[in-house]
Amino acid sequence: MFSKKPNDSEDNSSANSQNQYPEYTPEPAAEPEQSVYEGASNRINPTKPSIISEGFEFVGTITSDGVLNISGVIKGKVTAKSVLVDSTGLVEGELFSDQVMVKGKVLGDINCDELNIGPLAEVDGSVSYDSVHIQRGGKIKGHFIKK
Amino acid sequence: MVEANQSGCLFVGEGVVLKGNFAVPDIASVSGVVEGDLSAKQVIVESTGLIRGKVTAESVDIRGEVAEQLTASRSLIIRSSGKVGGSVHYAEIEIEKGGSLHGDLHLI
Repeated sequence: MFSKKPNDSEDNSSANSQNQYPEYTPEPAAEPEQSVYEGASNRINPTKPSIISEGFEFVGTITSDGVLNISGVIKGKVTAKSVLVDSTGLVEGELFSDQVMVKGKVLGDINCDELNIGPLAEVDGSVSYDSVHIQRGGKIKGHFIKK
Repeated sequence: MVEANQSGCLFVGEGVVLKGNFAVPDIASVSGVVEGDLSAKQVIVESTGLIRGKVTAESVDIRGEVAEQLTASRSLIIRSSGKVGGSVHYAEIEIEKGGSLHGDLHLI
């Protein structure tokens, strides 16, 4: 056993010294970025989300086949495959979507399949849904209809 | 927790049908059917339970069905097998995925 050791360590050190250069530089930077991006896009939709940022106010009708993230204000009708109303977001008007996640405020009717309401959310309006999850603390007023 | 102190509690077993109005000082646990108004400190409707009438309580936990009217002055939890119809007044609400709510929601 003792006689083996120096041989092993010699082999390893020579192998390591060759491997060290490629291992060092690219991997730590590239890997986490890629996995975060893939994870986010796979979870919701392969297409990039459309974003209404905080401070942005839109008046009118929005139609999208993809994902819509709302952190700003929308006054009007919204139609999309998946809608996220973020904590700073506000929708005043109708909301049509397969999947709706509300963390902010929706004043108006919601028509969707899957509705998820966060703990700080506020919803006032008629809601028609197929499946609903309301987290404790969400403030909801209005008429609920299960499709 | 319920079994430890049963004074002031109402238990409606599975298969039991109760008709009338009930005022329960503590916990009302319903696995059967209650037809009429029920007021309690806490109402638990088990998965086989059904209340057809007006329910008033501080906190309400629903795995079964409540029809007509429901008032929860503190907290309302509708579990995944729960079904609520009619007008609902609540202070704090939670609906698990799969839970069903059909009616008007009012915040107290």
